Amino acid sequence: MLGCSVLNCRQHVGLQKLVAMAGIAHSSLGPTKKLKFIQDDSSGESALACSCHRILENLELTCAVSQLVYETVQAQQRVFGTGSGCLLFLAGAWSRAALECLHRGMSVSNIISALSEGIEICIDVCRKSSISTDDVGVVPSKSLQASVKAIMVPSREAFHLKGSISVGDKTLNISGQRKIKLSRHFCGVESENLSLAQQFHQPKPPNIHHIAEGLRHGCINAMNLVLEVHQMQSKSHEDISSSSFDISQVMTCVVPGLPEEHASVSSGCIVLLSAEQTAVVHLLKEKPLKVAFINGDLSHTFRHVGFIRPVRIHRVIDQSAMSGPTSEEVWMVKVMTLLLNLEVNLIVVSGHVSKNVIQCCCSHRILTVEKVKASFLNTIANATGGVAVTYASQLNKHCVGTGAKVTIWRDLSGTERKLSAVNISTSGRSGLATVVLTSCVHGKLQLLEDQFWACAYRLHHALKDKAILPGAGVTEMLCIYQLQKQAVHHPRQKSEETENPYRGEVLPLMAEGLIDYISTVMVNTGKFSKVTARTLVNQQLQDCAVLSDFKAKFSQILLDDVTEDSSSTSATSYDRAQEMKIYDNLSVKLEAWRKALDLVCLVLQTDAEIITSVDQKNVGHQNLMFL
Amino acid sequence: MSRLVPKAPSACSDLPLDNAEICHKLILLKELLTSSFGPTGKLKQIHNNIGGHVVLTSTSSVLLQAISSSQHFVNLIKTSILNHVSRFSDCGLFAAVLCLTLVELAKQSGLAENVSVRLNKYFLDLCVSYMQGEDCGCRVKLDFSNSHNLITLARSVISSKPACMLTVQEVLHISKLAVQAFLLTLPCDKPGTITLGRTVTITVEGYSVLNSEVFTGLLVDVTCDLCLNRAINLNSGALPVVVFSTSLAGDFSELGEGIIEVLAGVDSESQILEQLLELGKQVVKDDVKLFVCQKVIHPVLQQYMRSQGIIVMERLGVNLMEPIIQLTGAQPVATLHSTIPASAYGKVMGISIKQIGSKTMLHLQPTRESVICTLVLCHRNETVLRELKLVCQKTEHVLRLALKDPAALLGGGCTETLLAAYIRHKCNEAEAAAQLRCSQSEYLLGMEVFCHSLEYVAKALDHDGGDSLIDLNHAHHWNQPVETMKNSLEYSLGNCGCGLLRNSPGMKWTYLNTAYSPFSASSSSADPTAQPRVLDSFTAKLNALQVAVETANLALDIRFIIQDLN
Repeated sequence: MLGCSVLNCRQHVGLQKLVAMAGIAHSSLGPTKKLKFIQDDSSGESALACSCHRILENLELTCAVSQLVYETVQAQQRVFGTGSGCLLFLAGAWSRAALECLHRGMSVSNIISALSEGIEICIDVCRKSSISTDDVGVVPSKSLQASVKAIMVPSREAFHLKGSISVGDKTLNISGQRKIKLSRHFCGVESENLSLAQQFHQPKPPNIHHIAEGLRHGCINAMNLVLEVHQMQSKSHEDISSSSFDISQVMTCVVPGLPEEHASVSSGCIVLLSAEQTAVVHLLKEKPLKVAFINGDLSHTFRHVGFIRPVRIHRVIDQSAMSGPTSEEVWMVKVMTLLLNLEVNLIVVSGHVSKNVIQCCCSHRILTVEKVKASFLNTIANATGGVAVTYASQLNKHCVGTGAKVTIWRDLSGTERKLSAVNISTSGRSGLATVVLTSCVHGKLQLLEDQFWACAYRLHHALKDKAILPGAGVTEMLCIYQLQKQAVHHPRQKSEETENPYRGEVLPLMAEGLIDYISTVMVNTGKFSKVTARTLVNQQLQDCAVLSDFKAKFSQILLDDVTEDSSSTSATSYDRAQEMKIYDNLSVKLEAWRKALDLVCLVLQTDAEIITSVDQKNVGHQNLMFL
Repeated sequence: MSRLVPKAPSACSDLPLDNAEICHKLILLKELLTSSFGPTGKLKQIHNNIGGHVVLTSTSSVLLQAISSSQHFVNLIKTSILNHVSRFSDCGLFAAVLCLTLVELAKQSGLAENVSVRLNKYFLDLCVSYMQGEDCGCRVKLDFSNSHNLITLARSVISSKPACMLTVQEVLHISKLAVQAFLLTLPCDKPGTITLGRTVTITVEGYSVLNSEVFTGLLVDVTCDLCLNRAINLNSGALPVVVFSTSLAGDFSELGEGIIEVLAGVDSESQILEQLLELGKQVVKDDVKLFVCQKVIHPVLQQYMRSQGIIVMERLGVNLMEPIIQLTGAQPVATLHSTIPASAYGKVMGISIKQIGSKTMLHLQPTRESVICTLVLCHRNETVLRELKLVCQKTEHVLRLALKDPAALLGGGCTETLLAAYIRHKCNEAEAAAQLRCSQSEYLLGMEVFCHSLEYVAKALDHDGGDSLIDLNHAHHWNQPVETMKNSLEYSLGNCGCGLLRNSPGMKWTYLNTAYSPFSASSSSADPTAQPRVLDSFTAKLNALQVAVETANLALDIRFIIQDLN
């Protein structure tokens, strides 16, 4: 059976749903986030959620649009670890823009082409206003600085001249531009020039502290932990310079019951162990250990993935066998003999370890650590020279690693049933780092973990992109400004394609969405009301427009200066970088915006929902049509 | 004790087309499919009642598969169209819309069903003979020495699926890749029977469409990083390969029915493992470098072979088996209980690692000129990527159809208006009516039904409230966008639907729903160098036309529906 609901085209229900869903994102934008309680009335359970994707995770999503939203947010979260709030908010804001377009009677294909043009403008602005991480907070060497000044001074003069004359003298304009083009700082924002600029640079590490400070977005403690991890990594990998941040080698361990100040970073892998195992740790600590690695469960019933258990096999048992040992006992004896022969002291397992094995190992002074993520397991294995195997029976001399160490990181006796946190480290540096997050409030642990990972991903992507965007709404302002400007007039295209007649109407609506975004972030800080926030944003935009009158000729290059304070005579990206303290990620923002617009366009193009397997007799929906 | 349940009598209903419910459902189905038709068609969200995965599509094969009606009459039509799609991949919505419109209009016309059926058949034959004839104005010969028309054909298929969310530039890029992949699967200078190769499609989420690429040979996703511990770059000559189609997991999955009794002390698993290791030893002795298994390989066997320097690939999946067999020339081994015959070994020329987006792939290079290629498709989001993959597969199919009959039809609704104009022009009511045993007025009515249905399909391409027109010289289809309706026709029209004709002085148009006096469409274009911009597959569309008319005739012909209620 099949139901089908046709959506009214002027009031697109799908877009309205998208707008409604985006309401979730309002409170989780910006550095000051508000937490949400999600309560299930039927079971009485509740959850504390601080970010957009956690809220979505805890909601029961039934309609198709919400499923799409959820899939998109998940994809963003999976790859970028941050930016899902921005994604959802803009999806809502641009849905509103699309609804308005529909209301004004524009055709869907025209709306879509204008919206995609708009996002291209925004992406272009982002590319141009991005700052190379190498230029951020770096104090240039003396000689370099001198040459910079030499280039800068005349160009600045030209700049002022232009300002005072106000009507452009052509020759001056051209010469001014050429000078500016010669200066690497003026071109430093364009990607192709960026690589050129880097060639001139001595390869020096970017100012991580400055970047991290700008990217912490209010999570000071979390970012400090991230910095600590980064320092640890750059120490252990001297060959890889500190200009990258490998988050695949970072794990988190949450310990409830300790105050938040106890959060810390240590190299190696920290796990929580029971009292019984802690006793073994006491015997083994500070000694170099032999380690075995098991990829899978360590139990006699475990079989590798894809193994089909025989169902039609009957065991024929004769009397004499009845009294003999069970198959588990046989297996256990075999494994134990093997482990003792190989002199293994520590077994790291990615799956579960059966209770009997843990006990038996404890009595033989072998420590078992279970549920270690496979990638960490491989890292430790590589660092100790071991090889992970699937079955204990596969173990041989070549598979066993050497030189691991266990230390008790902290005795937590009395707090919970897990009694100690134990650090497994290797003599050969594995690069593995564990961040221990603590809180007295159990419900807050996930929040802390999320904050840490968000910061870690931000730093990771900043270093990977080798570029960051001016934050605190500056990038958005530039986009708004550019969208509004291009709506009025735009460079004539050479292509024969006819121009979209609604361009001038759609682009300001898109800009409106971004204004909404900035003002919502401002409202969330608690210092502004919605009205004052909007007024402030509009005021700033007007200032830009006045300023840009003479700068328009330079706009391609100087575009990024437009929203600086009026005192901004500093025209180098270096100075600019010094002034700005808050940054955003380039790729994260671009991708979130793109995904948001994709979502809007997909929903906008949809005119009907086909619901399969609906029972015609007990229909809940009123406006379903049945086929 | 047995109980006798009396059989419920069968339900019989007559004249399904007089049934208001069935008619309503047919109209609903028509609206649903019409709104999805063409490059600006609207998408449909398909999902089940419980929540869960959402599919966004406008593709007939996905849409029709999701739809099932409580009325068998509706399902009959649906199944018939679905059959066409599964054989020809393209023009499914064309067939569905034409069929449903024919049924609806025939019903409205008040003609007797049997007369309608006879007339439809007559006009279909007229169309088919025109389309296959020498002087056909809507057929374009495909020239394989030039990729231009092939790319146009591919682009028409790809751009007609808006759920792929591609820009103009991206459509062109994907079209070129599709044609390139298609050409790579054609064997060169081989005498005798020709077997076409295969394109394996791999999707990578989260990257720009313009990162999509075509590779010769086969790319296989390597999931476990363990396999890649040592840097693989084997390019020295032909490397022996063995391919297993049976599971090497060390279980009893091969045993089949029946119960096996085993003595408690016997460890059957280790005995199978021993057998597996025997196999491993033979493979090592035979100097195999790549060991491929469709299913799971026992970790102990894997460990052994890796220690001997063999690259192990497990869980290849059934879909990749045929390509890898074609690529390597290996015979798949289906048992582990006998020695591997020497003839079973295949060869690859080189193995290297390719990093594509987030995926690590093993690139297997073919030994000689191979007909296997891999198409890597990238897109930002999973939902649209799924549609893009489907569309690329359909495009490949359409291109293959063109091999048998190297021709294409003008797209953008021009073929439909041309056919309608041709039928009107050919009309000789006195003679034909006598031949078809109907009155002249019946003949004319039937002709209008058929022509209007064709024109309806052309009109269905527009979803934005524009107007559809036909020019009175060449009988091509033109669209006037809603924004330019204020202007006069001469100023608001650019190109015709297929792009062959440009607006030029002296052209005359009329709206598609108005009557025009029959004329002979001139096939000579004003500009002889002009190339059509939209082309449809000839084979697929011809068959779609036949399926649509025959299904409509079948639907008109049904008198009783007998339903077994047991």
